Amino acid sequence: MKIFSKVMLALIFLFLIGISVAEEIIVSSGLKAVMSDCLYIETISDELDDVRTMDIALAVGDLEYHWKKSESDMCYMVNHKNIQEIGLEIAKMKVYQKENDPKEFRACMEAIKAYSQSYLHFMGASVHNVL
Amino acid sequence: MLTIILRSIIIYLIVLFVFRIMGKRQLGQMQPFELVLTLIIADLATIPMAEIAVPVLHGVVPLFTLVILHFLLTLLTRVSTKMSGIISGKPVIVINNKGIDYKAMKKLNITIDDIFEAMRGLGFFSLDQVEYAIMETNGKLSVLPKAECAPATNESVGAKVEPAVIPVNLVSEGKIMKDNLPVAGVDENFVLDFLKKNAGKAKLKDVLVMTIDKNGLVYLQLKTGSKQTFENVRAA
Repeated sequence: MKIFSKVMLALIFLFLIGISVAEEIIVSSGLKAVMSDCLYIETISDELDDVRTMDIALAVGDLEYHWKKSESDMCYMVNHKNIQEIGLEIAKMKVYQKENDPKEFRACMEAIKAYSQSYLHFMGASVHNVL
Repeated sequence: MLTIILRSIIIYLIVLFVFRIMGKRQLGQMQPFELVLTLIIADLATIPMAEIAVPVLHGVVPLFTLVILHFLLTLLTRVSTKMSGIISGKPVIVINNKGIDYKAMKKLNITIDDIFEAMRGLGFFSLDQVEYAIMETNGKLSVLPKAECAPATNESVGAKVEPAVIPVNLVSEGKIMKDNLPVAGVDENFVLDFLKKNAGKAKLKDVLVMTIDKNGLVYLQLKTGSKQTFENVRAA
């Protein structure tokens, strides 16, 4: 085999390993950040009748920032239509927070948590995904 | 639209690279696993090309994975005859000195017509002319003709012949083939001088083809004109 082919094969092999590792890191760290933001919002908004506080607004802003960052990275690896739900729920959350609708606000948060879990089923390495 | 154009260019270049790195085999010479690979690659390439929502990596990663797999399979077939038999199959004798091997035919899932068709393609129109026929792993039939039906060769008729020489292409459609000049042992001036002396008013751009062989036989044909040959022009 020519040296060119050998080098190219080695590069392709390294690329495949690199892309697999990068996907794992991006997916797990991105979704973990979303989950922890959700848990934080849950803690500070727990049993509050008025969700129009500065803390909650800032926490939702953080959640949106973290998600957008992860989403743009994940779009290189998955069909972006498959991961658009969290962004939509965050947009709704912001509206419910401004309009002070704690019930819907919490429902959105639960939805985001559920979507974060379900995204792990089609992103990253797992037997379920393979099969 | 610009996205689709750019994606198409990227995928095209990658597929070209993949085929380049996989080696040069004609479609008819492919082993079964190579044919499967080619079909899959063609299909994989089209998905991210047309579907904007699908990341380009979804096409690239499987393509590269298949390249690695291809090389592993090729390596396996090279190092182990047993694996080679499993992956690529084994040549099967379909016609032997007893006639057609019906069992082998059934095993290969081919008909008599298939055998006849392949035989005709090789210039044998009667089973009587064939001593042995072997179905190769790439699906082509190889025939060993009976001695009396084999084409006569110089060796078989005892003819004394000069060793064959390959002509070198010096000019092709008005362009000097610079890489071939050293092979023929000539330079650009030789070509231009030769044309000046032998091609009349015609210029380099008017030449369709000009070749020279080891014995100094030059073949020249202009775009508008018939061929001319010149012997012992110069020992190349």
